[in-house]
Amino acid sequence: MGIDLKMIRKINIFRKAFAFTTPALIILALLTSNSIADNIDDQVRKISYLLMCPVCQGQTVGESNSELATQMRAIIKQKLEEGESKEEIIAYFVNRYGETILGAPPTKGANLLIWILPALAIVFGGAGIAIFLHKSKSEKGKEKTKEMLNEPRVQAESKYLEKLDEELKEFES
Amino acid sequence: MKILSIVTKLSVLLAILLLLSLLGYAIFGNRVFLKSSPIVGQQASDFTLELFNGEKIKLSDIKGKAVLLNFWASWCIPCKDEAPALDAAWKKYKDKPVVFIGLNVWDDKDSALLYLKEFGGEYENGIDPKGEIAVEYGVGGVPETFFIDTSGKIVDKYIGPLTEVIIDYFLGKALSQDHGITKDGN
Repeated sequence: MGIDLKMIRKINIFRKAFAFTTPALIILALLTSNSIADNIDDQVRKISYLLMCPVCQGQTVGESNSELATQMRAIIKQKLEEGESKEEIIAYFVNRYGETILGAPPTKGANLLIWILPALAIVFGGAGIAIFLHKSKSEKGKEKTKEMLNEPRVQAESKYLEKLDEELKEFES
Repeated sequence: MKILSIVTKLSVLLAILLLLSLLGYAIFGNRVFLKSSPIVGQQASDFTLELFNGEKIKLSDIKGKAVLLNFWASWCIPCKDEAPALDAAWKKYKDKPVVFIGLNVWDDKDSALLYLKEFGGEYENGIDPKGEIAVEYGVGGVPETFFIDTSGKIVDKYIGPLTEVIIDYFLGKALSQDHGITKDGN
């Protein structure tokens, strides 16, 4: 009988432990699966916005409602669930559609020019315009002074002043 | 002031040159890319297609024969334009080691069957409901046709409606052992 009571106690302890841990484990499993699903959906969204929809005008796979874009999103999801990385998935589409599928040109090779040239054009163009404006402003200023000195009114005034000086000298002497 | 003037002129000239290079690259840089497909010259991906008659066809099972793989949809007008040429070519090549496969995409089965009834397509025709084969082959519109040689390599991709002359040309290349594949299909 003593052994039976011990056994019953042990069973009860197990029951209680099971009753407490099972719901906790279920909740934990649900939360984990939800967060994984959210994570995958987020990744699908992120990747799909990096790829251009081949049948749309200027829309990404993420933005487009076309059948092809929907199928591409499903393929992205399937590949993520199979454990493929973002880079591998992007490479999969590039290997089939070419680099034109990319939303932005890659920053390597000849495509690097696309990123560098506009910046260089802005810098050099801006510098050129600034120098040109500065130069024309200073030259304009000088020309304006010259013009002002050559104006008839200024000339007349200077003649008047010269005469005034002469008369003052005569008066003083 | 003379130094400033030279610097200014050089800067403006350089900026113009840079912009012109950018423009040139945008116009001409991607030309080869747009015309070719990265999968041309590669081994064709295997697939199993469920045909409209209920049978199944596996690409790897028809190795040793040239394959014309045509992606189409019932709503596609150029597909209707090329349908007589495809039908005539199939009749011409059906006794040769060539298999014609019609792959219906972005469509529904009933519309596809009505289309086949009206426009022929007696060769192997099936539907790709999830678009997996279309994406695997980098299809970005219909009609698009792939020519696969006897070793299972994609030798050409043709975008747009086919004519009998075009089919003859590309199938001739696919059937020839010495087709000299280039990415442009030349």
